[in-house]
Amino acid sequence: MDTKVTKEDLKKYAGLLMFDMKEEEYDTLLKEFEITEKHAELIRNIKDIDKVEPMTFPYVIYHASLREDISKPCLTTEEVLKNTKDKKADQVKVPKVVGE
Amino acid sequence: MKTILAYRNNLDNKKITSEELFNEAVSKAKKYQDKFNSFVTIQDTFEHTDSNSILNGIPYALKDNFSTSGILTTGSSNILKDYVPVYDATVYRKLKEAGAVLVGKTVLDELAMGGTGTTGHTGIVRNPWDETRQIGGSSAGSAAAVALGIVPFSIGSDTGDSVRKPACFGGLVGFKPTYGRISRYGLFPFASSLDHVGVFTRCVKDAAIVTDILKGQDEKDMTSLPDENIKYADMLDNDIKGKKLFYIREVASLEYYKDVDSETKEVLTKFHETIDKCRQMGFTVDEVSIDENILKAIYPTYMTISCAEATSNNSNLTGIIFGPRGEGNNINDIMFDARTKGFSELIKRRFIQGSYALFKENQERLFKNAQRVRRLIVDKINELYKEYDAMILPTSGSIAPKFDSEIDRMSERYLILENHMVIGNFGGFPSITIPSGLVNNMPIGINITGPQFKDAKTLNIANKIEEELGFRGLIKEEYDV
Repeated sequence: MDTKVTKEDLKKYAGLLMFDMKEEEYDTLLKEFEITEKHAELIRNIKDIDKVEPMTFPYVIYHASLREDISKPCLTTEEVLKNTKDKKADQVKVPKVVGE
Repeated sequence: MKTILAYRNNLDNKKITSEELFNEAVSKAKKYQDKFNSFVTIQDTFEHTDSNSILNGIPYALKDNFSTSGILTTGSSNILKDYVPVYDATVYRKLKEAGAVLVGKTVLDELAMGGTGTTGHTGIVRNPWDETRQIGGSSAGSAAAVALGIVPFSIGSDTGDSVRKPACFGGLVGFKPTYGRISRYGLFPFASSLDHVGVFTRCVKDAAIVTDILKGQDEKDMTSLPDENIKYADMLDNDIKGKKLFYIREVASLEYYKDVDSETKEVLTKFHETIDKCRQMGFTVDEVSIDENILKAIYPTYMTISCAEATSNNSNLTGIIFGPRGEGNNINDIMFDARTKGFSELIKRRFIQGSYALFKENQERLFKNAQRVRRLIVDKINELYKEYDAMILPTSGSIAPKFDSEIDRMSERYLILENHMVIGNFGGFPSITIPSGLVNNMPIGINITGPQFKDAKTLNIANKIEEELGFRGLIKEEYDV
């Protein structure tokens, strides 16, 4: 499998994450990707790595339980709106989303 | 020595009031701010809730990625530069209830994603021991605040060594308990399966005192552990004779590191002197070998897992409900603009790496393979803990680096010697750094990591070794006032 990414690929990936970078940052990132692939190769070469179960959490928890579904007050509208720059009445104001 | 108990004594004997202590701390914080840049925010009002706790009236500092209602909390990122939370992190609430007094919010590497203390949006943090050197990160400001003698303790977070490494470079105790021991509710998540709350103090006893106040199950953090109903501070002097420690040959053996610079050689030599002292104390200390291919995989595994989790955790930062609002004609352009301007270039590169590892075609060979390495390492260490009580290693192979030094990230030295403490995050093991000496007038440290859930034993071992080594309360003389 050809895993070599290009600068154009990186620009696409940035777009998916909803940001752009300076041109020279893509050059830096390209070099970092080369290191990432070397590291991935290092890992792939560990004996029997594919037979190991992936670990998602430091240990197994046995005490987990489900809370009862009890309705409680959470944030007030006033609290939610405190940090937004653009508001109207009790709502966060954004440009029109739905088409004409 | 300005320990918590010394402060407590002065308060209880009415030699000083908590407001006077706060004013002293704020005055020092302001005095050193220009030079060392520990703080994002220094409190201007004394706020204190009286309590019966041992921490009542004691000043402290809090890393600026912990939510504090009504107080600016930036994550040291431009994308949160004017964000004021409307709720308290559990850690902050517990400290308030215990009567501790917040002096300020400290600088970190942006969104906790760094290890140098140089990427925060308000500037670099300098090392009180030598201002031409970094203090490490990401909890740089919290480390500096204690190293400067501004406060006796501060709170940080540790995802890959972000409390334990700056503690070493600052000559401090840095403790990260078992994963889940302290609630992470209100701590901005970096990598949720690796994040821990940690503390900086001048001695192991203080670390135990603060952890005793902070620990406990929290219904708001489903990963928090049930209460143990024991006090770590009461168990520090248990007898350690006969306890067994190990160190990893591929991390700390002088034979393994033949061609290294004189500074590393001296650090490792001093580490082995510490091992000899441990043996004289009654510990058995063995050298153990672990496959170096697995150890070399620690850093890449950490980068893959942490960047992938971070990308997801920070996808809510869009500037819509909080943070600087972007410009644009439609909602997508507005979010795009906010994230382009709000994140630093370094963070963006990390996010792209993280999301790349999660693409369907890459998950198996990048993300899942990293998770497999995590299990290999954790299983190996858990196996060793069937025979041993703790792992002891040099915290770093060097003293705090100069700002203009470059680290070769692919060199063997960097891959293993500078990244082994991530083992503590992979397995959630309780892990503590204590100062163990000076090299070129800069502090060095050792790291003691214990089995999961054995925080009391780990602190006990660390306390006894700290007593023996004689660097308890280490501070640069000019700040010991």
